[in-house]
Amino acid sequence: MKTVLELRNVTKEFPGVRALDSVNLHVGRNEVVGLIGENGAGKSTLVKILAGIHRINEGEMLFEGKPTSFRSPRDAFNHGLAMVFQEQSIIQTLTVAENIFLGREQEFLRFGIIDKRSMNSAAKVELAKVHLNCEPSEKCSKLDFAARQMVEIAKALSLDGRLDSDIVILLDEPTSVLERREINLLFEIIGELKAKASIIFISHRLDEVLEVSDRIYVLRDGAVVHETASADASITGLHEHMVGRQLDHEYYRENKQRSSFGDPVLSVRDLTIDGELRNLSVDLAAGEILGLAGVVGSGREAFARCLGGLMLPSSGEILIDGKPVKLNQPNQAVDSGFGFVPSERKSEGIVSGLSVAENMTLAAGKRFSRFGFIRFDRERTECQHWIKRLQIRTPSVKTPMQSLSGGNQQKVVLSKWQIVGSKVAVLDHPTRGIDVGAKEDVYELIREMADQGIAIVLLGDTLEEVIGLSNRILVLRDGEVSAQFDAPAGAKPDQLDLISNMV
Amino acid sequence: MTEKHKQFIRNLVPIFTLLILVFGIAAYEPGFLRPRNLMTVTADTMTLFLMASGATLVIMLGSIDLSIQAIASMTSCIVAAMLPMFGGTALLFALAAGAAAGILSGLVVNYLRIPSFVATLAIGGIMTSVAFWASNERSIYISDEDKLVWLNWATGTTAGIDHEVVVGLAVLAVLSVILSLTRFGRLVRAVGSQERAVVASGINVNGVKFFAFVISGFMAGLAGLVMAARLGSGSPTLASEFLLPAIACIIVGGTAITGGVGSIWKTFVGALIIAVVRIGMTFVGVTVFAQQIVFGLVLVLAVAMTIDRTKVSVVK
Repeated sequence: MKTVLELRNVTKEFPGVRALDSVNLHVGRNEVVGLIGENGAGKSTLVKILAGIHRINEGEMLFEGKPTSFRSPRDAFNHGLAMVFQEQSIIQTLTVAENIFLGREQEFLRFGIIDKRSMNSAAKVELAKVHLNCEPSEKCSKLDFAARQMVEIAKALSLDGRLDSDIVILLDEPTSVLERREINLLFEIIGELKAKASIIFISHRLDEVLEVSDRIYVLRDGAVVHETASADASITGLHEHMVGRQLDHEYYRENKQRSSFGDPVLSVRDLTIDGELRNLSVDLAAGEILGLAGVVGSGREAFARCLGGLMLPSSGEILIDGKPVKLNQPNQAVDSGFGFVPSERKSEGIVSGLSVAENMTLAAGKRFSRFGFIRFDRERTECQHWIKRLQIRTPSVKTPMQSLSGGNQQKVVLSKWQIVGSKVAVLDHPTRGIDVGAKEDVYELIREMADQGIAIVLLGDTLEEVIGLSNRILVLRDGEVSAQFDAPAGAKPDQLDLISNMV
Repeated sequence: MTEKHKQFIRNLVPIFTLLILVFGIAAYEPGFLRPRNLMTVTADTMTLFLMASGATLVIMLGSIDLSIQAIASMTSCIVAAMLPMFGGTALLFALAAGAAAGILSGLVVNYLRIPSFVATLAIGGIMTSVAFWASNERSIYISDEDKLVWLNWATGTTAGIDHEVVVGLAVLAVLSVILSLTRFGRLVRAVGSQERAVVASGINVNGVKFFAFVISGFMAGLAGLVMAARLGSGSPTLASEFLLPAIACIIVGGTAITGGVGSIWKTFVGALIIAVVRIGMTFVGVTVFAQQIVFGLVLVLAVAMTIDRTKVSVVK
């Protein structure tokens, strides 16, 4: 089989993190290659290197045997590497045809003007390849999400017949928002595509990867840890390679898991967020860790943001210590005793231009000021205490936040809510994008917070993390609670049981 | 060289620029360095600095205030028109009018969720109309007697020091204290650096923005008073040509247009740079009308040098 795309010893480093560590990977002509790995394993870095968004530090990329480096996604596209991203690149105000041929309008120019009719009929041909029955002249904003995804794929397929070179189509989590029927259609299309192109299929759904791929690579901590033909692989085997260990009790500090809790702190009654969440009711006691499991769009992110005051509930009631509270704005949430650790640390968690101390006391301003003037002494003492206690690696309290590593930044964010004295910590992917050692520190910290009597709502980065840390797990599906599991130390529920309630 | 050293040097660039410009002019005209002359140049610069001082806070938020020149013109008209009848109360009224314009901008930005450049452009237009109305569409002269009694604090000289400079330094001190020692000042930097994270921390970001606009309006109003005092008149177009140099001196001083980084002394230095450039151009023979070309170029250059590119992925 002729190799179309190859990576040789590719290494990519970001400040403080080695995102890819001498990765070797090749894709043959007419082959479907699956790529799996946990969040943070390096999948998205790999995709961005292929797309020309990131540059390689070491190693090389070969396309059709020639060393290549794409300058931009457009450059990659013009060379025959098309991406279908998780976050769609479809422009909603343009028509279907305009989106498919965006940037390649020359083909349809007549005296400098785009010939809409010939563009639309060319688009019709591409739409037929994905079995999408819509008018090319329709605005993309009129299509539903799945249909837009198909347009995106049609755009990638339009390279076929227009380039002399081979075509590689990269599908990054294409199924996460599709219904089963649409997924089947997509797999059918991939089957047809194989005759014309090579395909890289990225997903965290192992069953799908197994079903559609010829060969599978497993990424972990930035390295390829396993390569196998799909025919020889099993879901459990792949999962073990992906996680790198049997479920490890030490890792999640299960021995420190509490078995008895304090007084009830948080009560949620019939909470509904239109289009996101329906009738969620749950109670949480001091020191208890409640894990939320569910796929993207299950409503768990919406629930977390609602508790942070960043998303308005439509109906229902939230009570703290038995008293109803309003969470229409983040300051109400903070005043009521919630501390929200957002999943996007860089844009919502930290203020990169402020110092470590300034970030730590950001939410507790009143305690560290008198008549509006900051009490620098008191602030410094308190921050030094927390830096020591949480072992935050920083030269001083005045160090700019942006020069800390991701793990240390996250510890600062967690300390921010401890300094405020939050009663309920809402942790939305608290270990996202931080390296393994720092993750363990964060787990330790979560256990400590529980010991202090803080009630914790946890949205884990992985299912395993949710199971390992939680006392109790709510599984959400399509905005409703589909199951509830107790997860005491030593008797943790099985992943597969959770998954069967998630999808 | 560490990031810290680079930052330190970047901070010093405006000061070195100023020194080079000053000595450059002195090479042409040695008399330029005479203390009396330097005092006059500094005093001449203070109206520009006052206008830019409050707006610096707004720019540090990542917003902009395009109404300052209109506010300054308006307060010059108000004070000139009211002095004969109300005496000193006219000063308070003018300052209150400046602050009120800032309040309006703050409300429009916060509650109508309109970008600050549109909001302040519109408020500036309204203030210009107020100025025309207050002045009956012409310049109003301030009598020498009123000037001596009520405006000597702005234009007089004590022990060889021009009062403009005293006012400028006082504003420099007060705003610097606000920015570096108060919670409000810290939040201004925080909002400019990463607004979403500040919101998620439960901070009332609207309040921070509101006060920044009020301070900007108030300072522009004060600038209008000092201008009226110096010129002995108020006019609805008194400060019309000041917007571009005012924004330019904030940016030239090293405050980033993208927000989060900046300080008042930087604007002070920036204002002096602009003033010295202006004088230099006059020496070289660039007409007043062509000077705006230079300010335009300086502004573009300074923004290009200070902008935080990581924050600006799309330019609109």
